[in-house]
Amino acid sequence: MTGTGGTAPATYSPSPTTHKNKASLFQQDWVRPDGRGFHQCRPAFFRTGAVNAASGSAYAEFGNTKVIVSVFGPRESKKAMMYSDIGRLNCNVSYTTFASPVRGQGSDHKEYTAMLHKALEGAIILESFPKTTVDVFALVLESGGSDLPVVISCASLALADAGIMMYDLVASVSVSCLSKNLVIDPVFEEENSQDGSLMITCMPSRYEITQLTVTGEWSTPKINEGMQLCLDACAKLAKIMRSCLKEAASDSQE
Amino acid sequence: MVVAMEEDEKKQQAAVMVTPGEVLGRVSDVKPGRGAYAALHNDTVYASLTGFCCTIPPFPDSSDQRPTVEVTGHKAHGPVPQPGSLVIARITKVMAKTASADIMCVGPNSVREKFTGIIRQQDVRATEIDKVDMHLSFRPGDIVKALVLSLGDSRAYFLSTAKNELGVVSAESIAGATMVPVSWTEMQCPLTGQIENRKVAKVAS
Repeated sequence: MTGTGGTAPATYSPSPTTHKNKASLFQQDWVRPDGRGFHQCRPAFFRTGAVNAASGSAYAEFGNTKVIVSVFGPRESKKAMMYSDIGRLNCNVSYTTFASPVRGQGSDHKEYTAMLHKALEGAIILESFPKTTVDVFALVLESGGSDLPVVISCASLALADAGIMMYDLVASVSVSCLSKNLVIDPVFEEENSQDGSLMITCMPSRYEITQLTVTGEWSTPKINEGMQLCLDACAKLAKIMRSCLKEAASDSQE
Repeated sequence: MVVAMEEDEKKQQAAVMVTPGEVLGRVSDVKPGRGAYAALHNDTVYASLTGFCCTIPPFPDSSDQRPTVEVTGHKAHGPVPQPGSLVIARITKVMAKTASADIMCVGPNSVREKFTGIIRQQDVRATEIDKVDMHLSFRPGDIVKALVLSLGDSRAYFLSTAKNELGVVSAESIAGATMVPVSWTEMQCPLTGQIENRKVAKVAS
């Protein structure tokens, strides 16, 4: 099962499992499989404290995309590492074998690890834990589209749950271009037949972007529209994340 | 879900829950304490942890009359040894000029995963530091109270027991019983009466 995510244009790869063939004629009247509007995100569900063994953890469910992230640390760096007077961040993103519709080896999204690292390292105050390492392990339980944005948002919640000092929470949303339409928070089928994708990871309270990934062909007005959509959605997502953290904290107080 | 930030006049009055990135005030009004930081590009103080935000009034005679705002984490992650903190460690290896130890507690909190520390010959005690015999100061398995001198190198933190109240707190004798301190250099086994040499910590009674 070679389901590629939102980073490579999946239009040209043969996917024998998806029976939709890319009939671009019909994309003008694309109806989203779950009945959402083009500019409507899936309802987000977050919970922290899912994993007891970890310093911090979070579970996120966006429709059919389910992700669990555990954070360990700060803990001692491996002896082989050189001394560093700022902390280190170590990330890993892996898929379960049952994450995709066809049970397989787990998709080859090795680049997600590096992308998660780049998205998070701008937001963590590394100087607060010199010489030690924070490990972030993300496990995608079910891949229903828009995996990496969900992983990034969930990872930032897990880091906040672990008490790691951060400049701000990190929220991430992606937008897919389906011929003339921009659809936000694409599902798996939309990602497979997209012409291009735009993923933004931002720190909403500071209004700063930590990562921007664009694939495919985009005209300038489309990019502006896509960015605006993403930034608005990130701000709303951040509100949901904050309320989840506050609820969890006040629950533990009682 | 907007939380209104209130400036309170007393410490501990503000029981407002904040999350990382929330605005706590302007740099001209407040000083960032623990759990908060100042962003210089727009002169705002933001929170960096999840927890309760409290405002500490300034000292009446200090030059900077801004109150300090800090965030006390509701859930602190396992502590990390900082220079100047008191730690409890277990000796793992004793060599000619150094002793290795596993740091298990930092202050009153235990760590989730151990850190490695090292006690060098010159840091064992304060007097006659070049005449120290490591084997007469520590044995593997001893529990010591030490002070973190510095972050050290990539492999270990540098620890020191060069104070009266630092040193071996608990040790097992060759016979297997917990020894009783006799002086600052000796401990005695209650079962056999044997005296063994350690750098003993003076426990305040």
